[in-house]
Amino acid sequence: MGENPISIHVLGICSALAITTKIDTAVVMTLAVIAVLSISNTVISLLRNNIPNKVRIIIQMSVIASLVIIADQILKAYMYDMSKLLGVFLGLIITNCIVLGRAEAFAMQNSPGKSFLDGLGNGLGYGAILISVAFFREIIGFGSIYGKQIITNQMYLSGYENNGLMILSPGAFFILGLIVWAHRAYTKVLDKE
Amino acid sequence: MRSDTYTIFFTLIVTVILGLLISITADTLRTKQEINEDLDIKKNILSVLGYSHSDVEWTSNKIQSIYENNIKEIIIDSKGNEVQKPDLSNVDVLKIYQSTENGLLSGYAIPISGKGLWGTMYGYFAMDSDASTVKGITFYKHKETPGLGGEVDKDWFKNNFVGKKLIDADGKLVSIEVIKGYVSNSDSNASHKVDGISGATITGKGVTTFLKKDLQKYEPYFAKIRKLNQIDSL
Repeated sequence: MGENPISIHVLGICSALAITTKIDTAVVMTLAVIAVLSISNTVISLLRNNIPNKVRIIIQMSVIASLVIIADQILKAYMYDMSKLLGVFLGLIITNCIVLGRAEAFAMQNSPGKSFLDGLGNGLGYGAILISVAFFREIIGFGSIYGKQIITNQMYLSGYENNGLMILSPGAFFILGLIVWAHRAYTKVLDKE
Repeated sequence: MRSDTYTIFFTLIVTVILGLLISITADTLRTKQEINEDLDIKKNILSVLGYSHSDVEWTSNKIQSIYENNIKEIIIDSKGNEVQKPDLSNVDVLKIYQSTENGLLSGYAIPISGKGLWGTMYGYFAMDSDASTVKGITFYKHKETPGLGGEVDKDWFKNNFVGKKLIDADGKLVSIEVIKGYVSNSDSNASHKVDGISGATITGKGVTTFLKKDLQKYEPYFAKIRKLNQIDSL
């Protein structure tokens, strides 16, 4: 709880803004990040005693990039429409600071088993934030949850309107800010106890 | 300290293994990906020609069957003549997708592509059976910025094209221009213009340019169609 990558370490926000307009894209992105993060952490941990120090970062990046490419290929084959919605952002997982950050900070110094769990944990934490942001943006911006229309026609007719700001990036910034704020306030409360 | 030889050796091995994994994945999945792309193209052609899927779900079988039953592919040469046994490796051949509804010709779709701001944009453009009224436009592949140039694939932008006219009063091809700002109702040329995208002028200009260029390629064929329609209606 005190180590969530986005709200505490404030890492990996870029894609958090772009693909959280709807919950389904956020879910697929989360799964991709969890997969890449846990596998790259495990692989790098397995190699950690053999990687020459000079090329350490390059090797880490090569492993991560290869996993991202493979993830993209799998998505294009089995979830074509989703791969079009995620577009460049799936490829941009390599630039997500969380992935390289955990590889360097954790996987290089810990056993494969622990590294795998670290990847899993960070991925889930990242996903929790992503899906939360997407939940608010989708319900306020589109009136639906996971594609299912929640705000009824009746409510639209009586004057309710979807908030267009939520669909644009500023909306994501606001929601993200509120979530980070709320999380940190809660953690502070936990620390005091 | 490890020797440089070890460093080079290690990096080489890792690179080869990773490269191998990527190639194997790409190769194994290629067929499936190609099927997906083909289906996506068919879906795009159907949607630009006005076949809606709001009421019935479009499974891959449905797409295939609607496409096979209603769309006919015509190949023409640069002079506008239909080619019967086309040599598809010849880059000068042009494709037209002709749609029929209840046995009657209902529209034509052509592939369009050209330079946007960040890269090549690919889409389809459809016109009514009169070959002069716009039926629809879609962009299935582009590299434009989401929220700016990326708006080309949004309904609001695409719907503005529907009903616009491609030819002027003299029967000359003028295509459609994506202007800057909003089209004024008092503009006498309003039927040849659509509203631009705020913050995406270059994308809009690109679309205007390559739409005209592609329509001009097909003009020999469509001019004939219009002439035939005129004769028919006499």
